[in-house]
Amino acid sequence: MELKLLSTSDIAVFVDGLLKAGKVVVAPVLKQSGKVFFKPVQSFAEVATDYIQTAFSAKEVVFPKVEELFTYQHNEDGSLDIKDQLDRIPETVVWGLRPCDAAGFDYLNQFFLKENPDVYFKARYDKTTLVTVSCSKCDESCFCTSVDSHPGDTKGSDILLTAMDGKCYVEVITDNGLALINSAKELFTSTDTLSKEAFLAKPATHFSMDEIKDKIQYAYASAEWKHASMGCYSCGACAFACPTCTCFDIQDEGTQDHGKRVRCWDACGMSQFTKHASGHNPRNTQTERRRQRLMHKFKYSVENLGVVSCVGCGRCIRVCPSHLNIFENILSVMN
Amino acid sequence: MAEPFEPKIVAFVCNWCTYAGADLAGTSRTKYETNVRIIRFPCTGRIDFMLLIKAFQNGADGIIVSGCHPNDCHYTSGNFHARRRWIVFKSMLDFMGFPTERITFSWVSAAEGKKWAELVNETTDSVRALGPFTEYKNLDFTTFNQMDHEAIAR
Amino acid sequence: MQDKAAELLKNGTVNLLIGFSEDLGKRPVPCFIETAEEANILVFNQECKNNLSVYLHKKEVKDAVKIGLVSNIATLRSVMQLLSENQLWSLTITYLTVNTAGALVVLSSAEELEAYVQANFPTCRAEDKEMLDKLNAMTRAERWAYWKDQLSECVKCYACRAVCPMCYCTVCTTECNQPQWIKTSAETSGNFEYHTMRAMHLGGRCINCGECGRICPAGIPVHLLTAQMNLEIEQEFGGKTGWSLKSEYAMNSFKPGDKENFIK
Repeated sequence: MELKLLSTSDIAVFVDGLLKAGKVVVAPVLKQSGKVFFKPVQSFAEVATDYIQTAFSAKEVVFPKVEELFTYQHNEDGSLDIKDQLDRIPETVVWGLRPCDAAGFDYLNQFFLKENPDVYFKARYDKTTLVTVSCSKCDESCFCTSVDSHPGDTKGSDILLTAMDGKCYVEVITDNGLALINSAKELFTSTDTLSKEAFLAKPATHFSMDEIKDKIQYAYASAEWKHASMGCYSCGACAFACPTCTCFDIQDEGTQDHGKRVRCWDACGMSQFTKHASGHNPRNTQTERRRQRLMHKFKYSVENLGVVSCVGCGRCIRVCPSHLNIFENILSVMN
Repeated sequence: MAEPFEPKIVAFVCNWCTYAGADLAGTSRTKYETNVRIIRFPCTGRIDFMLLIKAFQNGADGIIVSGCHPNDCHYTSGNFHARRRWIVFKSMLDFMGFPTERITFSWVSAAEGKKWAELVNETTDSVRALGPFTEYKNLDFTTFNQMDHEAIAR
Repeated sequence: MQDKAAELLKNGTVNLLIGFSEDLGKRPVPCFIETAEEANILVFNQECKNNLSVYLHKKEVKDAVKIGLVSNIATLRSVMQLLSENQLWSLTITYLTVNTAGALVVLSSAEELEAYVQANFPTCRAEDKEMLDKLNAMTRAERWAYWKDQLSECVKCYACRAVCPMCYCTVCTTECNQPQWIKTSAETSGNFEYHTMRAMHLGGRCINCGECGRICPAGIPVHLLTAQMNLEIEQEFGGKTGWSLKSEYAMNSFKPGDKENFIK
């Protein structure tokens, strides 16, 4: 891991340089609605800087909301063309992630690549460099410190920037990150002392993962689940905003003549998610669906992949029309 | 080297009036443009706006919706219900910025074979002048990867 | 309100009370209480915007039969509309609301509700009117660009449908896959189709609570689509939504003199 310094005024120069070199740069952009989204930008001037969290995560870069897996075309001579886009994915830099988002990418990596690597995810992930910016502020929905992370965490990032007065620490964590820095070597100076604590936000800690690992096994039978789920409208907002939710549906769109197969996001909170062709639905009530969601985040993914899949970004709480609170719910079902 | 643009027009017509009128145009050997594909319904009251959307989704450049004149509906009031639905749907599409001149609504009775032929000719000419409905196809433009642009161009 | 709620729960008039409480961030969130002791968590203020009538379709609520509903005026109008559509026949509902003078009002029957709603019928919200005027003043091409930009953000989470009290179909058209009318994926063309479909299905039924647009995680003002629809329908065909127990649904009826100037 290398440590460098970058002056704040050179950030724009660095990012504009990446754009000039032909990379796609995806960064937070403020839209008319007042919400901030990750979007490709044409210059650093478009990047939003004064916000706490984006509305949706950046997982779209490696796991798009609509992904064309392949297209098919019947030709006049009877032959069939099947084409995919795997070799046409551009080099992409995601700029301005939060440490919780980067931890989310780490989970996505585990989920999609550990066994039977997902070729579509891999093709995009291999072309993506993640540049994270530490958090200097937070709100009451943030709880990264409860899930084995913190506002200056490097997990999942290729580069982590921490802003100070007039300059930033640049922690170069991976070779990918180093390659990016080396493309504009002259902007960076070396340093060997890192003291970023004073510049990091201090979100409230509600529990620890050790506590969870201890008690969550008893939570399944809790009577509190009904209470925790009553306000749920059974939409997909939380799952779609979440940096680690990976459930998807595969749909074929087209005719006998030509068409495509797409992968699109799906959500376990939706009422039809587990409906069988027979008509039976093993998770017929919202209570069961909410329980599944939380148990998956805090127990099943820990057991299956060794990583907790909640990163404490708080998006689910912010986008929920009922402001259902994931950490309050976890605390109540464990007690 | 491409062929000149010929619009695809889909016509949603009622069985008792407009379809019969189109039949009459045929038996009278009236010539009219061949761009139209006719879909027969028992009544215009059966026509759901989602069918119109589906036509555009599948590549139609223009649509004709036609049925019995008011008070002549075979099912008494089907066309009155359809008329209300069309008023609301047209204003909805207009509000969303949809080019509503691509949809033509009309009343064509079973005796009006000539009117049917004229209607198809006028609609085909006007949609030909508007050009292919590329704005609809170009909606699917996700901005993350250049390859998606190419997918759309295809 | 807390005292009244406690009283209703204690004397058995109400088995389940749906209201608002405050979360850690002091935001009002929907709450569901079953005992008089819990009544002290209830709050009610201008920030209580959720339209709680949507929960009346929830199985757990239907099972409780005797419901208390803390309501703002939009919620009361939604209930009126649902009553006129005969959707609440299995429930006995007591409504708790606060009038413009700040006093608690308790409505215990459909007739009392109708009288109250008609006496306190709200006008179109100023911010909606402003946006609608702005959009209607644009050229058609500008509107297309506007909605294309907005609807490209839609992720098809269906939160708009989930919070709408009028979207109570047990199997929504979007869930029909034989044939697949509305694409499930969040491509912009499919998003256009979905929102058009939803606005059409709500035309003449929506009471303009604005919740769909307010809670959209992508910040899309989808409530403007139904607001415009309702404006058109009211102008063309008359009638108000969420007004009377015997509302006439504009799309189910017709007049011989309906406008015809665009039909050849």
